[in-house]
Amino acid sequence: MRYIQYALYLTLSLAAIHSWQVLAHHAFSAEFDKDAPVTLEGKVTKIEWINPHAWIHLDVIGDDGEAVAWMVEGGTPNTLLRSGIHKNSLPIDSEIIVRGYRANDKTCEPACKANGRDLTFADGRKVFMGSSGTGAPSDGADPRDR
Amino acid sequence: MSANQIIYDLAVWLDTHSQSTALHESFYMYNWIESTHVLALMISLGMLFLIDLRMLGLALPDIPASTLAQRLSLPMLVGFGVMIVTGLMLFYAIPVRTSQSLWFRIKIVLLIAAAINAWLFHRRMRAAGTDWDRMQKAPRALQWGAGLSLLFWALIVICGRLIAYDWFDCRTSPIEPIATVAGCLIDQAQF
Repeated sequence: MRYIQYALYLTLSLAAIHSWQVLAHHAFSAEFDKDAPVTLEGKVTKIEWINPHAWIHLDVIGDDGEAVAWMVEGGTPNTLLRSGIHKNSLPIDSEIIVRGYRANDKTCEPACKANGRDLTFADGRKVFMGSSGTGAPSDGADPRDR
Repeated sequence: MSANQIIYDLAVWLDTHSQSTALHESFYMYNWIESTHVLALMISLGMLFLIDLRMLGLALPDIPASTLAQRLSLPMLVGFGVMIVTGLMLFYAIPVRTSQSLWFRIKIVLLIAAAINAWLFHRRMRAAGTDWDRMQKAPRALQWGAGLSLLFWALIVICGRLIAYDWFDCRTSPIEPIATVAGCLIDQAQF
């Protein structure tokens, strides 16, 4: 009887701790593919400035000249602000380069999805997009990597 | 007009509020609300689970059940109130996506089930009198209520957690019948 009680308490506490730890963001591997790195060069079409994950939409011109719609997930607005991206720093139609990892879901409906690792502005300035510490592949380049 | 259309229209209307935008674009507020929601949940459900476990004879068997319920119900209700308010705020921050989340919809159904269960539990507890107060386990009917309460709330927390994932989001075009249950509309403009 006593052991059942202890097991129950332990399970409940672990469940509580787990749900607290991960509520802020989902684990990288649940939605993104670390083995599918991608580099996207294109024009910003829309920004969804939303907690807990902002999304940057961009049109990438493919080899055949057709525009392909992509949406790239970043960190929270707060994380992005700290790394140097704010609401006015990414006007519509500005040219950016985003490096990241494709989503597990590669159907590209309604847009191809990826998790953003870093973003390069037209003037060459490069910032991280807040995927560090979420389970995304780490190469030690981001000083905030844990 | 279908129920899903009405819910969507309502969510889109909420989304036009400047306070909703301010919340989901906020640098700190959203995070504070979300953390408070989870902390309040731990207080509220922590107390509730102790009461439920006492009814099942699994916790504090030497304390009279009514004493325990009396002492723990205030922090439980305070935590519950904070949890509801912060929960509504989280919904208000992201109304369209949340109202079309499969997990959120399951969670609402479970919340209603938990509320009915709690109401039945209190009715049965009044009917059962206090003869069993010092016994290790509550009468069978109350044990069922306590067990269901533990089950419903565990599932509610799990569903709440799963809202964060986009597996069945309408913009990923989930297959039927998930799309209908989640409330996806064929020609919706906002996600």
